[in-house]
Amino acid sequence: MRVNFVLNGRNVIFDIAPGEYLADTLRANHILSVKKACDESACGACTVLVDGRPILSCSYLSARVEGRSVTTVEAIQDEVNQISDFFSDEGADQCGFCNTGLALTIYALQKEMPNASDDEIRHFVAGNLCRCSGYQAQFLAIKHYLEAHR
Amino acid sequence: MEANRYLRPATLEEAYQLLLQDPKNILLGGGLWLKKSTPSANALVDLSALGLDAIKDLGDRLEIGAMVTLRDFELSPLVKEICGGVLTEATSQIMGVAFRNGATIGGSVAGRFPFSDIITPLLALDAQLVFYPHKEMSLADFLALKGRLSDILTHVVIKKSKGRSFFKKVKTTALDFAVINVAIASIDGNYRVAIGSRPSVASLALKTMDSVNNKKKLSKEEVLKAAEIASEELSYASTNAASAEYRKALVKAYVKRGLEEVSKE
Repeated sequence: MRVNFVLNGRNVIFDIAPGEYLADTLRANHILSVKKACDESACGACTVLVDGRPILSCSYLSARVEGRSVTTVEAIQDEVNQISDFFSDEGADQCGFCNTGLALTIYALQKEMPNASDDEIRHFVAGNLCRCSGYQAQFLAIKHYLEAHR
Repeated sequence: MEANRYLRPATLEEAYQLLLQDPKNILLGGGLWLKKSTPSANALVDLSALGLDAIKDLGDRLEIGAMVTLRDFELSPLVKEICGGVLTEATSQIMGVAFRNGATIGGSVAGRFPFSDIITPLLALDAQLVFYPHKEMSLADFLALKGRLSDILTHVVIKKSKGRSFFKKVKTTALDFAVINVAIASIDGNYRVAIGSRPSVASLALKTMDSVNNKKKLSKEEVLKAAEIASEELSYASTNAASAEYRKALVKAYVKRGLEEVSKE
């Protein structure tokens, strides 16, 4: 079957299997920023935006994005560079495998709750696991990123 | 996952007929646990084009469409007003935001997942379920059913109760399944106590409820006695996450705390 949607601002039509998941479709079509880690809805590494909202692409059927808009970090490079700078300032990076999913979640947080409190920040990004950096440095980086946008 | 077809019916009747055609045709709610629960299917029947994604205010009740996402449910001011916001609190503790943007109320309820954090407070609030073509039943009755229903869950109906509530999910990290979860609602002098993730699916603690209902004020002794009953009347089992004994001890502690909280004057 075929699915027709807007990927990073461009109309695309991809051939997919009926039970195919979005992370696999995107990676098969060279969007390699989308990571697969747990592959069972638990870690957030595969996060992409569908109509602006973060979703887990490892568990979201590709057929469901028909007519919708999918955003990955490739489309928001300026924002991602800013987030990356704040992460560097706080020493919040190590291996970076989780960063693309986390960056999209942070981008969505800024759009949805620009004045998020500390608790709201922690709550919003709780679904994005990081196995190496610890979370305090990431939290500070996110907080500074939000402050910079106010 | 392996599937031969993906279908998005335009009417409930069409979806229902597809479901009757082949036992290997399955309904799609959010599909977040699909990979784990159903490795293969003939047809995936997507309910997302049926207008089941609205929360409607019916005056004394809210009607929640089965395809309302957990995130929209969590963010709804109407849902937050019910019984001190217990449903909002419980939903906000389910995995992360990206998960809740995909998972649906209907899928969470119809799946009868033993680890569910939303079934437990819905049970405490005596939620009613509406199925296509014509069935209606309480959530408690649905959970007690054996086997699979061929009907389609279309709505969850919740009374707009103004009582007090308590919810506790015991977990180690934000994304863990509950070791145990406890929901208590106190509405018009009646208590409903539900306990889930024991690790079996949530149940009402009926003997516990009997021991505290129709009492004007709960004494310390009555609360302690009720907590003891709650830890004994339901079955608890051991898993890698927790032993049965630990679960019983948690239930005793949190039913006590919960009853103390909701019975405060």
